[in-house]
Amino acid sequence: MSEGIRVASVDDIPEGEGIAIPAEVAGTEDDIAVLRDEDGTCWALNDTCTHETASLAEGWVEDGYVECPLHSSRFSLKTGEVQGPPATVDTVAHRVEVRDGEVYLHPNERP
Amino acid sequence: MPQDGVVVVGGGIAGVSTVAALRAGGYAGAITLVEKATRPYDRPPLSKEYLAGASDLTQIALQPAEWYAEQRIDLIGDAVATALRPRLGEVELADGRLLVADRIVLATGGRPVRPPIPGGDSPRVHVLREASDADRLRELLLPGARLLIVGAGLIGAEVASTARDRGADVVLVDPLDPPLAAAVGRDVARWLHGLHADHGVETVTTTLEALQETATGIGAQLVGEPDSREFDAVLLGVGMTPDTGLAHAGGLATDRGILVDERQVTSAPNVLAVGDCSRLRDHRRTEHWEAAQHDGARAAATILGAEPPKPTAPWFWSDRYHLHVEGVGEMREPDAETQVVVRGTLGEPPFSVFTVRVSTGSTTGRVVGAVAVDDSNAVRAARRLIDRGVAVEPADLAEGDLRQLLRGR
Repeated sequence: MSEGIRVASVDDIPEGEGIAIPAEVAGTEDDIAVLRDEDGTCWALNDTCTHETASLAEGWVEDGYVECPLHSSRFSLKTGEVQGPPATVDTVAHRVEVRDGEVYLHPNERP
Repeated sequence: MPQDGVVVVGGGIAGVSTVAALRAGGYAGAITLVEKATRPYDRPPLSKEYLAGASDLTQIALQPAEWYAEQRIDLIGDAVATALRPRLGEVELADGRLLVADRIVLATGGRPVRPPIPGGDSPRVHVLREASDADRLRELLLPGARLLIVGAGLIGAEVASTARDRGADVVLVDPLDPPLAAAVGRDVARWLHGLHADHGVETVTTTLEALQETATGIGAQLVGEPDSREFDAVLLGVGMTPDTGLAHAGGLATDRGILVDERQVTSAPNVLAVGDCSRLRDHRRTEHWEAAQHDGARAAATILGAEPPKPTAPWFWSDRYHLHVEGVGEMREPDAETQVVVRGTLGEPPFSVFTVRVSTGSTTGRVVGAVAVDDSNAVRAARRLIDRGVAVEPADLAEGDLRQLLRGR
């Protein structure tokens, strides 16, 4: 278990939106989308949609999923599982935790 | 109910969505999918990335190759259904194979319209519906190639953009000025159409009268022009006609589509139809990707005896000149009860335009449609505002936080 990388204050991410963490900051292959659901919980997924090049951080976040801003492919925030086409391939979920109002990303750890 | 097998004819988005939703809904019987290509692929990229050569058939596959086995779907590729016998629950294939099923779902799609223009049967005249059409067209889209595109709807506009990226010279003709006004509203349509000229496409408001092959290309006579012009290739992008041949020969009711009810059931109770080949009685066809996908989900619910998915405002996307256009619901021109609200500045992406119905004497209204350029989330919000019937103050759409409007704050 890592300490995690502090990536934002939770207040920096409006509910229903997301921010992209560059791959070089996260130490990951892809950029990471840190997404905040309508209920305030934070989640992290690989940022690039598995269908075409689009940033999930710019997607629509609601009810436990994010909708890609290009073609509305839907991914589970919790598992990265694809739940709506045109994407057919799951994305990768990473663990996030919120401590004292700060968001910590644990790249490549399962949520 | 017994689950004695489903045969789906046609592996476009409607057919593949049907089989996917059947398995997702727990359908236990045999599922057979008949597709004329080797494997089902997605059609929107055919005028965009696939035409540009930036993606191949594997990348635009509707499902990965192994998915069909994993989902226990018997995919019969490179196959054409030649006969439908509803009473016997039979579909016959060109090679003589006979498929028998409890339910048959027709997802036969459509064919591009080929207007009866003199010379229209020349090999230099193209349409775009299948991957093989895109393959043939791509070969011609070379720097300096002279392409005439007839029809400036979504496909014509997308091909114009792709062709310009590849360095071809493009002339785009359409009798409407601007085209697509019904889909995106007149102001946005005018701006979108203007992008063609900004990117070096010559747009002409006219129709094609005749074509004639020449020694070095194909001559096109446009209505209102004194002389014909010479091109290397012509693309007809003037719409599609539903493929109802199999259904019609099988005795099903057809009228500009295979007629279906709200549950996608045709005039034969054991036969359903989905996607571009079908038409809901007394309704216009919605020839969009997502509408076809929803048809498939609805057909699966009917077969499963499950609750159908909730209807939602129709949604589409299109891309041109590296701009992403989305639309939802219905765009109308302003009148006594209709306000048009611009969010951002029209013509400076990202921006979006909402159509709002406001009753006389009321300050609030309901969103009925929206179009966005590089502002997808405005359309995602609009769709939910439409579907949930949220009352809004039109001015809040121009300035406010759209998610707050949805939350009713």
